[in-house]
Amino acid sequence: MLHKEYLIVKDDYAHAGEVSSAIKQTLSQLSIPTTVLRRIAVACYEAEINMIIHSDGGVITLDVSDEGKVELSFKDVGPGIPDVDKACSPGYSTASEEARSLGFGAGMGLPNIKRVSDHFSIDTSSKGTTLTVAFEAQHE
Amino acid sequence: MSKKTVVCYTLSSCVKCLKCVQACPTSALRMENDRIHVHQEKCINCGRCIKACHSKGLLAQGSTLEDISSYDYTVCMVPSSIISDCASLEEAGELLGSIKQMGFDEVVDLSDIEGQVLEETQMFADQQKGMSWVASFCPVIRRFIEINYPMLLEHIVPIQYPHEIAAKQIRTRLKNKRNVGIFHCCECESKLALAKFPYGNPTYETDHALAMVDLFPKIQHLSKKESIPVCLCREGLQACNPSHIVQKENYLIADGFDKICNILDLAEFDLLKGFDLLMLYPCFNGCIGGHLLWGNSYILQNHIDALTSQKRKPIAQVPFEELYSNEEVEQNESGETFLEKMQFFTSVNDQLEQLPGYDCSACGCQTCRIMAEEIVKGKKSLNDCKILGREKEKNHATENID
Repeated sequence: MLHKEYLIVKDDYAHAGEVSSAIKQTLSQLSIPTTVLRRIAVACYEAEINMIIHSDGGVITLDVSDEGKVELSFKDVGPGIPDVDKACSPGYSTASEEARSLGFGAGMGLPNIKRVSDHFSIDTSSKGTTLTVAFEAQHE
Repeated sequence: MSKKTVVCYTLSSCVKCLKCVQACPTSALRMENDRIHVHQEKCINCGRCIKACHSKGLLAQGSTLEDISSYDYTVCMVPSSIISDCASLEEAGELLGSIKQMGFDEVVDLSDIEGQVLEETQMFADQQKGMSWVASFCPVIRRFIEINYPMLLEHIVPIQYPHEIAAKQIRTRLKNKRNVGIFHCCECESKLALAKFPYGNPTYETDHALAMVDLFPKIQHLSKKESIPVCLCREGLQACNPSHIVQKENYLIADGFDKICNILDLAEFDLLKGFDLLMLYPCFNGCIGGHLLWGNSYILQNHIDALTSQKRKPIAQVPFEELYSNEEVEQNESGETFLEKMQFFTSVNDQLEQLPGYDCSACGCQTCRIMAEEIVKGKKSLNDCKILGREKEKNHATENID
């Protein structure tokens, strides 16, 4: 079992992507197959950016089981997602001008995460959102 | 792909400052038993440790001109980056003439083949869109991806190095001559490994790699200079400098190591879909910024236009199939099971919590994480940490005063 936690700060664009890089590095040391690693990296980056742009901050947790299941959970404090179905459809975006000017917020975040992950669940309320994605990374 | 490191260590010159250990982008260097060790499997031949060394403890050496005498007929290949050191075609002619005077039967400039490789690379990426292809002419980039960005391995354009394509052509052309030796003048350390000698990589067609920095002083001392008429290929000269490559909206052209790391990171996150070709130069100003050249690369950049303003050579017409290489890239498999790796990783994390986390390298390891790995492997102990040692001493001292 491996368990790690990372803190995400609201609107911290300067450090956007650093947690994803760290997670990518950690998992590559465990020699997870590159095709799976690629999907994890894509999902993780998208979700991390989502947290920075839309939430008031939160925690990313990484869990790797001895069987090779990689689970990432993105738990934030914030306004929640009013319409999850809409947010999961490609091209729909509520990102601020500031975020868009920096190249984020194209409305492909959640659809992309869903596409690349093996398990995808989202739990949202007006107090915050928890997104959980999991990947089967065991070889052989 | 070559896994031989070109970095040679001289114990007697080393002042043990550990600057080289800290400079390595792949953590391939460590100090052990009072000397530097270079990890062959990890070294990407970028030369950053050699640059960081102030005491000539680390060097990359090429073959010597004495090796010419082992052959009956010798050819020397000179890349565009070296020719860019000349301000005019006359100077370029003199440079090639002087190199020939050192004992070669032929001197060949590589600009037409480099030009063809550039064009073919761009055409390849334009045809297979949506992949963010990484141009393959820099050996450092290839190795760096192998070590640090394995997810991008299949993104490397499968085109051979220009000097190897040229060497094969020369070999075929001279098949009636006996005992032909093909030499390659190199502008940077990494290319010294792409030959049979001096580093022993038998898969290459090129026999010997020469370091340009060794030839310059000899060229200076030649009394009567011979000149060879030269005609250069514009595209080839452009290929060695990022600011001369014709920018297109689907190309990403970058130089400098830090920016390149960032670009490779983004590519791994799949964020560069809009770019079909990534042309990455770890050296500032590309190959004309190679560490084995003398001239300032910003000045050399100005020479490129002057050298191709009058007459020009068209790009080479090497048959398509000879440009592509079928070099297999091996993935490192350690043979450990997933569970063993997990256990190792968790133990490393436990050790890491004991260490100060300054990444000072004083223990000989680049970072505290690497130190933690060494402790888990049983090669080092917490007592080897200089910071923890100092704290212990201090505590001991205060106890004695009390």
